[in-house]
Order: sequence, then structure tokens, then C-alpha cells
Amino acid sequence: MSDRWTISLGRIAIVLALFALWETLSRFGVVNSRLLPSASDTFGTLADLLQRSSVRSDLAVTATEVLTAFALAVPFGGLIGFLIAENRYFADVVKPLLFFAFSIPKSIFLPMFILVFGVGFSQKVGFGFFSTIFIVIMSTATAVESVRVEYLTVARSYGATRAQTAWRVYLPSMLPVLLEALRISMIFNLTGVILAEMYASRDGIGHQIASWGENFQMKQLLAGVVMVAAIAIAFNEIIRWVETRCSHWRT
Amino acid sequence: MQPLANVTPLRPAQRAGAIEIRDVGQVFRTAGAEVVALSQVSLEIKPGRFVVLVGPSGCGKSTLLMMLAGLREPTSGSILINGTPITKPDPDRVGVVFQEASLFPWLTAEENVEFPLALRGIAKAERRAKAEEALKLVGLEGFGKRHPHELSGGMKQRVSIARGLVQDPPVLLMDEPFAALDEQTRMTMGDELLRIWAATGKTIVFVTHSLTEAVYLADEVVVMSARPGRIVDHLQVSLPRPRTYEMLSGDVFGSLRDRIWRHIRKSA
Repeated sequence: MSDRWTISLGRIAIVLALFALWETLSRFGVVNSRLLPSASDTFGTLADLLQRSSVRSDLAVTATEVLTAFALAVPFGGLIGFLIAENRYFADVVKPLLFFAFSIPKSIFLPMFILVFGVGFSQKVGFGFFSTIFIVIMSTATAVESVRVEYLTVARSYGATRAQTAWRVYLPSMLPVLLEALRISMIFNLTGVILAEMYASRDGIGHQIASWGENFQMKQLLAGVVMVAAIAIAFNEIIRWVETRCSHWRT
Repeated sequence: MQPLANVTPLRPAQRAGAIEIRDVGQVFRTAGAEVVALSQVSLEIKPGRFVVLVGPSGCGKSTLLMMLAGLREPTSGSILINGTPITKPDPDRVGVVFQEASLFPWLTAEENVEFPLALRGIAKAERRAKAEEALKLVGLEGFGKRHPHELSGGMKQRVSIARGLVQDPPVLLMDEPFAALDEQTRMTMGDELLRIWAATGKTIVFVTHSLTEAVYLADEVVVMSARPGRIVDHLQVSLPRPRTYEMLSGDVFGSLRDRIWRHIRKSA
């Protein structure tokens, strides 16, 4: 297993080197430290910010919005995706249209969301939902289609009911693809909510990052970036870990 | 049926099924066109026989097997197993072994074998006991906790056979079960199947492309031809049992295989 070790080691080395580069560039004045505060300063500010109740409540606001949008988009999009994939005719009709919708950058609709919902919770959740739903629909449809006909035939030949087939064959068979879909959906969802916060909002971590930027508070701005990046990476890695545990299901 | 001399049955040979196929036809309708997959197929299979269906691609042998499994209804005619028509899947009467990769990769070997029992809500302990017995029968004792990706191609098909036998059905249907295996494994699996058959006394209907496999395994070989699918010959294989590798080069074996080949060449 020395191979895996060297790979991890190399990876850690790259990350450390990047942080070291960041630190040196700033510390020795290669880049103006007002433009690029050093890594150590940034992490110090991050620790400081996390103590503040206003930052914590901003994080809580964003987390609530993200989770609400996700909790609405995943089952709703999943159901639509399942129904589309189950009906051949419907799939043929609707699929290209979904691709059209998916290819449009969602951000151009943001002003409309503000006009319809006003500035607030529902605007941000609504936009997060809108940013996520298409990818959920498309990946669920792909997941349903990934179920091998052989598995369905086996289930039928042993007398499985529709519910048994759904629960014992469709669901476990789709799970690896679904997890990947969930992971990618979350990236879209987070992007949507934070974008909405940065564009027009009174609270949330995206709003904070935007206003730190406007006020030229580089330390806080970078600390905010690190914060959001860490949360996003953590969620991604958790799902990826579950994915690898069932990767052999794909065969 | 003559049991093999060197085999001690794990269970007394019993519960073999009689199959009657009467004037069965199957017509597929695709985009306005009608394709006659099977036409006027009649066949009688006595309990405990090992019957192999061979024929060129498109001769309807797999379709016939799917109808025996109740997965497809005949357009005309009827199929009776132990005197009762089969119109939908009936795991009490028929077990099916599919081509490679029909095991569920998310379940362990024993969970795969238990699957048909789980569908009927049989309690966990009873399920596990029956699965263990079936795995032992196919020579996979101690492999129950493995997932399919941890098993070789031959072992996977043993699990499939165990799954087909776990409910002790009188008839076992096998759709090209060894097609994806290498030649060596295929021969071994053939011998294993004959051992399992001798130990359980099931009626087996086996579909294959391999003429050698057909003659080696069968009591009777049913030869089919395409467009429309129908039976063109029905041979009794008089070779004694146990079958041995040496028989493959014998005159009886050769002439039987030649006879089948001539039918197939004609219709292909």
C-alpha cells in the first residue's frame, strides 16, 4: 500500500506548498499584504470571526436556506426524474427541453426572483431550488435508466410486486448514481444560494462576503472564502466516502 | 433418471416437474410489423429429464424459456407444468438461472440466494438456513458472506443456481448460464451441474449455443430453427452416465453433434 501513501503524501505536500507560497508572497511583500493578507493572518481572522455571534448567525441563516432549498429540490426533482424515466414517450418528449433549460445560466433569472419574492428568505431558497432542480431531474432520470434490465427480470421471475421491485431492486441499484447526483446537486445548490445572498440580501454568509469585499476588508473576505470552501469540501467528501463504500454496486 | 454412482444425494431426489408445451406460438408486434418468433411448438418433457434447447440466434429458444418461466405469455397454445397452465411467474414450480451478471451486486452471495424467500416474507433465520443448504449443494459452503464482485465467474453462476434451487422448485430453467465463462470453467461447471441435477432430481431445461455442451449434458436435445422459430429435431442422447471427458471424442458423441450441426447449418 506504499503507493496509496505516496499519493496522499504528494497531495498534502501540494496543499502545504500552496499555503507556504501564499504566506511568503504576502509576508515578504511580493504582493501587497493589503491586497493579499498572509495565510496565518487569514486563519487568525477566521478563528476570530467564528467567535462572533453575528457571523455565526449569518452561517446559520445560510445553512437553513441551503438545506431548505436542498430538501425541496431533491425529492421534487427526484420524483419528476423518476416519472420521466419510467415513461419512454414522456422521456423522449421532455428530455431535450430539460437540456435547453439546463444550459441557460441560472443567474440571469436572479433579478426576476427578487421582483417576485422580494429580498429575503424565500427569494434565496427559491433561487437555490431553481439552481438545483434541473440537475436533480436529469441525474435521477439517468439513475433510473442505469438499472439493468436483467435485475428487473430476476425480480419478476421470482414474483416480486411493484413495491418490492422499487424497494429491493430500483433503489439499491440506483444508489451509487443517486449519491453522485446528490453531491453534484449540492454544489449547484450552494452556488445558487450564495449567489442570491451576494446579489441582494440582508444576511447570510454570502452577503457578508460581498460587503467585506465592498469595504476592502481583505482579511475578513479571505476568511469567509476559506469558511465556505471548507463547508463545501466537507459535504462533498462525506458523500464521496459513502459513494466509494458502494462503488462495486456499479458492476 | 439414473443417479450418478459417485454422488450421495444431499436430499432425496424428488419434486421433479412434467412439462407439456402444446402448439405454442409467439408473435411480436414492433412498429406495425409482426414477427413470428415461434410457430406451433409442441414438446413433452418427462419429470427429471435434462433437456437442452439449441438452435441459431433468433430461433426462439430463449423466448420459449421465458414463456416456461411465465415471463411472457404465449400468443397461442398453452404451457402446462405438472398439469397446470403457467401464465405468470410461479417460483413454486419454476426456478430460473439467467445469463451472467444477474446477481444483485449490492447483496452478498447468501442474500442473493435468499432473495426469492425474502420476497415471500419468510423469516430471516429460516431464509439463512435454506440459503446455506443451497450454497452447500452448489459447492460454495463458506462463501456466503462474499459479494458477487469478490467471486469468479464460475462461482457467480453457482450462486445463481443456488438462488434458482432455494425454493426447491420441480423445474429449473437455465438460459445460457455458462456462455460468459472460459472453456475450462465451462466444462467444470457442466460436470458440477450434472452432479447437482443428480443430487436433486429436478427437471432441467437448458438453453445453449454450444453443441458440445448440449450433447454432453443432455438426456434429450431439442433442435430449433429460425424464421419462424420451430422444432426441427428431437434427439435422445444414449450416452451412459456419468458422462466423461473421453466421450467427447467418441463416435456416438460425434455423430450426434454432426446431426445437430447439419440442422443448424441448414437454417442459418
